[in-house]
Amino acid sequence: MATIIIDGQSFELPEGAKFNAIQAAKHFGIDIPYYCWHPALSVVANCRMCEIEVGTKDPATGEIKMLPRLVPGCQTPARDGTVLVTESAKVLEHRKNIMELLLINHPLDCPVCDQAGECGLQDYSYEHGRAAHRFVEERNVKPKKEVSDLIVLNQDRCIMCTRCVRFTREIPGTAELHVMRRGDHGEIAIFPDQPVDNPLAGNVVDLCPVGALLDKDFLHNQRVWFLSKHDGVCTGCSTGCNISVEENAGKVWRHKPRHNPYVNDYWICDEGRYGYKAANSPTLLGGNYVLEGKDHHGVPTDRFVKRLNETLTTRILDKQSVLGILSPYLSVEEAFAAAQWLASLTNRVELALGPVPVRGEDLTFAPDKTKGRSGDTSFIVPRPFTISAEKAPNRAGVEMMLDHFGKGAVPFEKALESVASHPIVIVFGGSPDESWIEADQVAALRKAEVLVLFDTTINPLADVADFVAGIASFAEKSGTYVNRDRRLQRFEAALPPREGVWPLLDLIAIVSGDGKAPIRSQEILKAAARVVPGLAKVEDGLVPELGLNLDSKDQPIPDAGFQDDWTLANVSTV
Amino acid sequence: MPKFEPVLSRNWNDPEILSVKRYESKGGYAASRKALTTMSPDQVVDLVKASELRGRGGAGFPTGLKWSFLPKDRKETFMCVNGDESEPATFNNRYLVEKDPHQFIEGILIGCFATRASTAYVYLRFEYIKAIKILEQAIAEARAAGHLGKNIYGSGFDLEIWCHRGAGAYICGEETGLIESLEGKRGWPRIKPPFPAIEGAFRKPTVVNNIETLACVPHIVERGADWFKSMGTPKSYGPKLYTISGQVNKQVCVELPLGVTTNQLIEEHGGGVWKGRKAKAAIPGGISMGLLTKDEFDVPLDFEEIRKTGCLGLGTAAVTVLDETTRIIDYLYNTSRFFAHESCGQCTPCREGTGWLYKTIKRIRDGGGRIEDLDLMNHLANNMGITPGTTICGLADGAAWPIKNAIAKYRPELEQFIRENVNPAARIAPVQEAISAGRSPLPSNTSMFVPGIGIAKSATS
Ligand SMILES: Cc1cc2nc3c(=O)[nH]c(=O)nc-3n(C[C@H](O)[C@H](O)[C@H](O)COP(=O)(O)O)c2cc1C
Ligand code: SF4
Ligand code: SF4
Repeated sequence: MATIIIDGQSFELPEGAKFNAIQAAKHFGIDIPYYCWHPALSVVANCRMCEIEVGTKDPATGEIKMLPRLVPGCQTPARDGTVLVTESAKVLEHRKNIMELLLINHPLDCPVCDQAGECGLQDYSYEHGRAAHRFVEERNVKPKKEVSDLIVLNQDRCIMCTRCVRFTREIPGTAELHVMRRGDHGEIAIFPDQPVDNPLAGNVVDLCPVGALLDKDFLHNQRVWFLSKHDGVCTGCSTGCNISVEENAGKVWRHKPRHNPYVNDYWICDEGRYGYKAANSPTLLGGNYVLEGKDHHGVPTDRFVKRLNETLTTRILDKQSVLGILSPYLSVEEAFAAAQWLASLTNRVELALGPVPVRGEDLTFAPDKTKGRSGDTSFIVPRPFTISAEKAPNRAGVEMMLDHFGKGAVPFEKALESVASHPIVIVFGGSPDESWIEADQVAALRKAEVLVLFDTTINPLADVADFVAGIASFAEKSGTYVNRDRRLQRFEAALPPREGVWPLLDLIAIVSGDGKAPIRSQEILKAAARVVPGLAKVEDGLVPELGLNLDSKDQPIPDAGFQDDWTLANVSTV
Repeated sequence: MPKFEPVLSRNWNDPEILSVKRYESKGGYAASRKALTTMSPDQVVDLVKASELRGRGGAGFPTGLKWSFLPKDRKETFMCVNGDESEPATFNNRYLVEKDPHQFIEGILIGCFATRASTAYVYLRFEYIKAIKILEQAIAEARAAGHLGKNIYGSGFDLEIWCHRGAGAYICGEETGLIESLEGKRGWPRIKPPFPAIEGAFRKPTVVNNIETLACVPHIVERGADWFKSMGTPKSYGPKLYTISGQVNKQVCVELPLGVTTNQLIEEHGGGVWKGRKAKAAIPGGISMGLLTKDEFDVPLDFEEIRKTGCLGLGTAAVTVLDETTRIIDYLYNTSRFFAHESCGQCTPCREGTGWLYKTIKRIRDGGGRIEDLDLMNHLANNMGITPGTTICGLADGAAWPIKNAIAKYRPELEQFIRENVNPAARIAPVQEAISAGRSPLPSNTSMFVPGIGIAKSATS
């Protein structure tokens, strides 16, 4: 068992942990400030913010020998007998000096800077800086530049931590960014006509601890302290990246990555990043509609439910059978509730999987430790990041329900062929993409005598269905998805359901007429786990923070849960 | 003491020495042949250790010890020869390459044999075009004559030497900056550990040695460690190339035993201070070392004694003389401008500190100085560099040292300069002055919002 001493207190390092001093201290609740270091990038020790006093304790004599000079915590491995002093007068004075130096050429333009509120310079100035600085010379002025269509670089705010440069080299491997010039005239730059447009480009904005790299999509739209953050899971593909969905005034304004070493490490792809826009789309269904003649008429939920149930009851009494189609965009709970309801209607029900969008091939970025800068990189754990070709979040979870309630995952194309034998077709959609269904598929489904659709967008199927119920969008619902690696992950609603629309779980409870039917996703998951074998590992409807591996036990990751301070800064909201 | 016999520069007056034949005819490549055919690599390392040869690149690190840090079980080793020579006023490496390239190649050969490196890269300063041409020609000739290539002298040892020209950056003389640059990257020094001996060029064990360090090695092999230690002062043995420049009558590079004094250099080799003036001070070994006052001119210029005067060290033994009319502020202006220009810009204290110091010194020189600027500069200088532990490489120490040192040794002159040179145009903008003094920058009759108090009359305090 390795023991490390931090500020006079002894701590036992977790088994197998390869921590540097920053990680080790953080593990025991002690913060060492840093800028340039990032847990997934090579160590360069250039910002010099994390400097502490370091020593070793002789195991035989117990004598502690301290190094005479300050040492960066990022390049100090935490080993048995390592002694760290993080709060001495020398260390505190050093932090003041570094803050002063970082600010001498930094404009004081916080009032117009988008980073304000989640800025490394603001936070550390407050915690570690000096109230006034002694610099009375002219500041260097540096240009603002566009490094891509979506990213702007305010060069005068840059602190030269090179996080962005190392990211493009070490993670996507595209190396669009570099440093040009020397000394305090150095600048981050791109090569002419080679913008930062790799599929992971947006991460450089998250990585940048200051207001240098900013997302033009978000620029001047919101003050970050007005945003409320909700833990979400990206629905852009079956990887299921952990995201923070950030919302204010009824709109989602951005997605940011949340760290999950088992899934997305510290990153998200640009498609997922800008996928938030679908939550604010003007083409979301705004209520419930019934087809009368050629036109859809909006009806209040109670009348909609009444008419739907009347139709279904007469038809089913008539011994007509039902084809239920469950989209891979449904949450586990939605799929469970929907399948359970369909099964309760009649035993002549066939269940099928909605269309699963697939684009291209899986794209994996496998960081190569040897591509980073030389140095003691033993505490970096290179973890690959995959953008999946399968562009839906929960095929695995929905299939589990199809297996349990039906005859396995009947594919969508197969289901279309069997419409003739099922006069009633009930479709549960949920894709944020209005074009999720092709015209010929619509025509095939429309052959049904009764076509019912629960969906989020105004789409070609909604145009022809007899009953159309608007349901909560991906940003308006809570629940769980099962990703490509069969990891069950929970996400929270960021927005309330739009005016006139219910979450699907509520709607099913109303339609099924069971006054006691649970509508909270946690309770439904708990109920599902009792009967669906694939979910047997779920306890009490709860999902651990980093998700639940449904098949096997996770390899323990000692640094799991280490959220980089600057990727998802903790903003105190007003 | 027996009369000192120069060895490193013994062939400098012979223009024919550039040819391998001529060099061989004067006994050249005998030492390398002796090492490769009669000694084991470890015996060479031990010999160099016994000679107590210390690196001539600036830091004075014991060469044999450096070689013995290489991991025992290594498969591949690289030798990087540091010829970046960018320390202002230094030109001894250039002389060694231009005036006797084979001596240097022989040194590389023995050094590589000792460290079992079969590839050597000579990293030469961008501006050394003539030296590169001479060296490449000499390498080709040495190769043709069997001193390089495969199975040299039938010893089974292979060696290839490649020349790599820098792109004009001082920082590429720092050993890990050199390695990065050699690998085709930006010359940003690496963090240590790992040291190059463990993980250097192309992530392989690597030795970085200065040209002059290696040029000493053939003579140690030929004449033995005792001969080497018969010259110099305690802990600083052997011959050393000193360059003398600045305000003297003759700017020269001379070979002398380690530990001569500044006075000797000026009077015996530099032809005295120019224009019949007196000396005021001298830089002992490149501008990053600080100043010796004229009272310290009899301190031996070696690795140990010089540090006792408050200078950073011997550095490159490039002595620059300042005459009595030279203003310390001008000297500081030049040094600080150099380092602000050459800081690679990685480490916050060096990147921002060098720029800050330069701007402050420029303002003082322009007539806008304040006495407190000296204390401010002292504070900045004391907190940058590997000495306090706040930077990756020693450039920051070199940038800070001349300033600390000059303020310590010439404070009265600097204060007098500040008092007597007042130029309103160079003064600090009042707004800056007010902010840094913690005052409101607004005129006293404006209202301002004070948090917690509300609208208040601006305070002038
Ligand atoms: C900023 C900086 C510049 C340096 N420039 C040179 C140089 O131009 N030539 C050189 O030989 N060593 C230079 N050095 C020293 C090298 O880092 C290294 O110590 C030396 O090459 C080792 O060789 P030696 O042991 O033979 O002296 C420099 C060091 C620093 C910190
Ligand atoms: S742009 Fe941002 S991330 Fe890149 S070096 Fe500057 S401060 Fe660091
Ligand atoms: S000390 Fe200066 S020159 Fe050396 S690595 Fe740091 S910034 Fe670069």
